[in-house]
Amino acid sequence: MMSPSVARRTFATPVLLGLLLIAFALVAVAVGSKPFNQTIIDIFLKVIFVVGLWVFVGNSGVISFGHIAFACLGGYVAAWTTIKPMMKGMSMPGLPDWLMQTEIPYWGSAIVAAGWAALWALIFGSVLMRLSGIAASIATFAMLAMVNSIYSNWESVTAATSSVVGIPIIRSIWPYLIAALISVFAAWAYGISRHGLALRAARDEPTAAAASGIDIPRARLIAFVISGAIMGMGGALYSHSIGIVTPDTYYLGLTFITLSMLVVGGMGSLSGAVLGVLILSTLIQTLRWLEAGVQVGETTFALPGGVQEIALGVVMILILMFRPAGIMGNKDLSLPQWAALETKGSQGPKNLKT
Amino acid sequence: MGSLLQVVFDALSLGSLYALGALGIALIFGVMRLVNFAHGDVIAACVFALLWPSVDAVAIIFAGNLPWYLLIPFVLAIGAALSVASEVVVFRRFRRANPATMMIASFALGFVIRYFLLMLFSSRPKSISLLPSLSQPVEILGARIPLLQLITIAVTMAVLFGLTAFLRRTRFGLEMRAAAENFTMARMLGVRANRVIMGAFALSGALAAAIALILGSQTGTANIMMGASVMLMAFIATVIGGMGSLAGAVLAGFLLGTIATVMQVILPPDARAFRDAFVYGAVILVLIFRPQGLLSARGTKERV
Amino acid sequence: MSLLTLSNVSVRYGRLTAVREVTFSLAEGEILFITGPNGAGKSSLLRAIAGVTPPSGGRIDFADHDITGRAPEDIARLGLSMVPEGRDVFGSLTIEENLMVGTGMHAKERGWKTRAATELEAVYATFPILKDRRHSQAGLLSGGQQQMLVIGRALMTNPRLVAIDEPSLGLAPNITDQVYERLIALRAMRKLTLLIVEQSSTRAMLVGGRMMLMRGGEIVLDGDARALGQSEALQAAYFGYGEH
Repeated sequence: MMSPSVARRTFATPVLLGLLLIAFALVAVAVGSKPFNQTIIDIFLKVIFVVGLWVFVGNSGVISFGHIAFACLGGYVAAWTTIKPMMKGMSMPGLPDWLMQTEIPYWGSAIVAAGWAALWALIFGSVLMRLSGIAASIATFAMLAMVNSIYSNWESVTAATSSVVGIPIIRSIWPYLIAALISVFAAWAYGISRHGLALRAARDEPTAAAASGIDIPRARLIAFVISGAIMGMGGALYSHSIGIVTPDTYYLGLTFITLSMLVVGGMGSLSGAVLGVLILSTLIQTLRWLEAGVQVGETTFALPGGVQEIALGVVMILILMFRPAGIMGNKDLSLPQWAALETKGSQGPKNLKT
Repeated sequence: MGSLLQVVFDALSLGSLYALGALGIALIFGVMRLVNFAHGDVIAACVFALLWPSVDAVAIIFAGNLPWYLLIPFVLAIGAALSVASEVVVFRRFRRANPATMMIASFALGFVIRYFLLMLFSSRPKSISLLPSLSQPVEILGARIPLLQLITIAVTMAVLFGLTAFLRRTRFGLEMRAAAENFTMARMLGVRANRVIMGAFALSGALAAAIALILGSQTGTANIMMGASVMLMAFIATVIGGMGSLAGAVLAGFLLGTIATVMQVILPPDARAFRDAFVYGAVILVLIFRPQGLLSARGTKERV
Repeated sequence: MSLLTLSNVSVRYGRLTAVREVTFSLAEGEILFITGPNGAGKSSLLRAIAGVTPPSGGRIDFADHDITGRAPEDIARLGLSMVPEGRDVFGSLTIEENLMVGTGMHAKERGWKTRAATELEAVYATFPILKDRRHSQAGLLSGGQQQMLVIGRALMTNPRLVAIDEPSLGLAPNITDQVYERLIALRAMRKLTLLIVEQSSTRAMLVGGRMMLMRGGEIVLDGDARALGQSEALQAAYFGYGEH
């Protein structure tokens, strides 16, 4: 499925990204405050979402506005499977009995969520992946709206637009770090597999790829399902990070933020996805802090609410204008030449004209 | 008979809104291959342009008090101006970019506009009184149809005829059609790229303004998410109509309006809230059988 | 009197150099064929002249204006009309509509409507088959008819110089004969300057005029088409005899 030499050569990327994430985790441990912990957890969750998004968008070149729908599916799985049965019965009376009685640990709900989201990704994807790029993007938007509409109205099963409370809150950063690491490695593994390669070939030269025997809709579908699974897992963990779930959490706002992080970091590479999260999270935190008000002497300077999103939008537009490949520019984090793990012989011909 | 007629008019007026929205998208897509996700926010901006910025629940009308024969051109002009401004400031730099990049940029622009309105007006919907005389019902063959519905349908028909005449009989229309088919070739024949594109944006903006007027009168409120639900359907209409086809977009708009209205009628009361989800489901069904859309799209296939 | 002058014009696509510091002049009323093997840079050269691809270096002058890197619509308005390869008709427009697209440039001038009508009649006179089907969709025409349409379309802009890329591509020889026949007649009638890219030098030698051979982005031969055709220089240049 994936060639060992490619694996060896690119292995540095997920390792370096992983170390970066671990570094963030250690900072949280050092600071030791609950709100800061929550911020780091939020960053890890965004990493999961944006990496999941990258698996599909980065490799296929098809923009998806609908991936947060899978997070929504995952988020409610957490509600369905981890809330104490008695509480469940009160807010979501329409659930089937076996589900009502189920109570599993949070990591179980994450796994089930990934599976549930993957299933729906398979179902939706088998229709959507045959559409052309732009049409597919619009269709994913419709998918997002559809999921939102269903979850906002199916009162007996989702409590409609009311928040569902009682989801066990996990405050430790380690499960989220582990999940983020899993996502990064899974995304890397997919990227170097022949499926990932086939999809990228189709992205760059659809006609040549099709002529080489690549089934483009199928290649896209595989990525769609894997990315859906990652989003589902992320959605469940998101619920566990705040203890409640509502449909509007998983709608346009989150879609916009995750897409901007992917674009700013660079859609073309996994490192772009992760770095986009880290860079924009910093920006957002700074803006949030400024919106709350900064004490300078006697006065408090505060930015008006809404500036966060405007700034995010402007940054996104500027990056698209001047550096459409994003900050990483389709390149991945890797070790410098001198630390490369290869032996001399595999360097390839030295006198190729560029 | 009366209620059947009511359903027909409901379908036609809803379909008209969707058709106008889809047309606004298709016009720009035709010349630039850009799916303008900011269109819905331009609709909202057109309504808010009539009010003074405030966070009150009752809007302080600024220009909204103008008599209708001044108000309507004013709003249309605002729509066109906003749309052209978005082209000059943002989209112009993306002329050579690929469609996906432009689409994301328009998505971002939409957010910027929306949150700018949020900053000025807060997220609370404001009540406004826009052309209130239009909500009176009119009796036709035993059905009571709101006058606004008739006007919506009439306006849409007028727009469709006007646009067709414009595209087929005027020099500018000819240039736009040529540019939509092969932009570079048109330029080699002297067609000015900027003028054609700005023309498409101006038309699109005026269409957005028309939708804003209709929605504002219909709901009596100004709400920053006003354009969103119409536009989502409009985007879907452009897809199932066949990207790049104006006629397809209009046809699909009416089709979606009909499906939505029929669903509203035949669904049992419990399921009515899911009407939108059913419509999206119906769309997915259409796409299974005809992924390229109802009318074939020109110019979206790559030449090998 | 030099109508078109290229000085050290280069065209690069990323790291690939398609046209390498090309310099030549074209006088008014001349007919110049540019021939050469595939990938020699002929189309890129034409695209640079027409403004579709801005040159990466050098300067292009047309009728005393510097047109280097200017927009295609501006260059067309100065009287330089290009017919790209592949017969790109506006398929959903009718023949007449196709022809009328290029007349917008002069729309502000007085008497424009009559002049456009006269132009139209002239094009129809040259290509009668177009007149017969003036209201059919251009996408339905045959290859030869489409080629005539795109040439006629370029003529409607009232150009001084017409640059045509591969007019004979994909056309049967007898149809190509017809097309060229009309082209030459037009040149005489309207004092047109013609710049024609043809992969085959045979056509150039048949029609006569000046011929340039491009290879690897450079001009390797420049002279009278018939004279070159009879010398060995042409073969040598095509196949690279005597070079490393």
